[in-house]
Amino acid sequence: MAQVERTDEQVVRDVLDGDRDAFRLLVRRYGDTLHGHALRMTGSSDDAADLVQKAFVKGFKKLRHCKDPQRVGAWLFRILANLCKDHVRGRRKDVSLSVVAGAIQGGPSPEAAAEGAEIRRKIWGALDALTPEQKEAFVLKHVEGRSYEEIAAVMDTSVASLKMRVHRAREALRGLLEEYA
Amino acid sequence: MKNDIHRHLDGELSAHQLAPDEKTVVDEWDRMVAAFRRAEPSHGGAPPWLEQKVMGEIEALPREGLIGRTLGWLVRPAQVRVPPLAAGVVMAAFAAVLAWPSAEPAGPDVAGGVTESVVFVQFVLEAPGEQSVAVVGDFSEWEPTFTLDDTDGDGVWTGRVPIQPGVHSYMFLVDGSDWQTDPNAERYSDDGFGNQNAVLAVSAGD
Repeated sequence: MAQVERTDEQVVRDVLDGDRDAFRLLVRRYGDTLHGHALRMTGSSDDAADLVQKAFVKGFKKLRHCKDPQRVGAWLFRILANLCKDHVRGRRKDVSLSVVAGAIQGGPSPEAAAEGAEIRRKIWGALDALTPEQKEAFVLKHVEGRSYEEIAAVMDTSVASLKMRVHRAREALRGLLEEYA
Repeated sequence: MKNDIHRHLDGELSAHQLAPDEKTVVDEWDRMVAAFRRAEPSHGGAPPWLEQKVMGEIEALPREGLIGRTLGWLVRPAQVRVPPLAAGVVMAAFAAVLAWPSAEPAGPDVAGGVTESVVFVQFVLEAPGEQSVAVVGDFSEWEPTFTLDDTDGDGVWTGRVPIQPGVHSYMFLVDGSDWQTDPNAERYSDDGFGNQNAVLAVSAGD
């Protein structure tokens, strides 16, 4: 028997009408996307999972305030993105970029392969030198490969504002790396 | 980084329009981005236990009762409709530390050609050390349209918001993501999802 899957709009309506279990569908639909972004922003699978859980629960509590249930996925993503920025806001730190610069200029060297986890940690640690907004913009644009228009729609901001953040992130990263060139 | 380089990286300028030194910078940038992608934390999707944890936490939240459902209906933005009334006496059942309402006529309604009256309500929230505070409610379609100011940096955020007479629900949005119920409101409504909205009653006479 063919079963028609409920649309996001129908799921939201069902949840608001008291069918809490329907929210499970949203967790299944958007869990991976949200977790991927949280992982890129935090660099920690434990932190990412915690933030995604918080985002879903917060989304459930505020579901009545979701203006466009057809785009509840984007709405949940925005909640998560704000949580991620808050999470990284307090932990910006000076990072040792010598290893980072070496890994970047030298590519995947045997040493880098041998020290894979450590290299990964340090490269991604470089992003912690950016502001949370710059880091978010860099990740969405250059790591996740999203278009400005797509990011603007999801983050509810203007393309011009996003471009400015991305430009500043580029300048900051390049400036940091030049210190070790 | 020159503007042309940003334009190229943004897809607005082709590579052959760049000067040789700009191409060198772009090549360096491409290597850096590739390194970031190579070093991306492995992502095999959300952990399988996440769904269970989320749903467990949601199931543990209190369920809404009849009153909650009724008041929940009130906070659905599309369902709050208050006819325009002349501005006048105001009773505001919100509680902010230094809150007081005042009445001012609104500008003309350009779209409808009808002058609607609104009441300007002052919201206050004590939130030292925060970066931004917005008051968000059905009167703003639950968007952070109205931001509060803390110009003297004392941690007390204030702002005046034009609101049509009627019963309104609202919350404060701190730093763009932290939803806070007004701790000094006189009335609250359970939204049925574990949170409480502050309730603001604004009336207007002749």
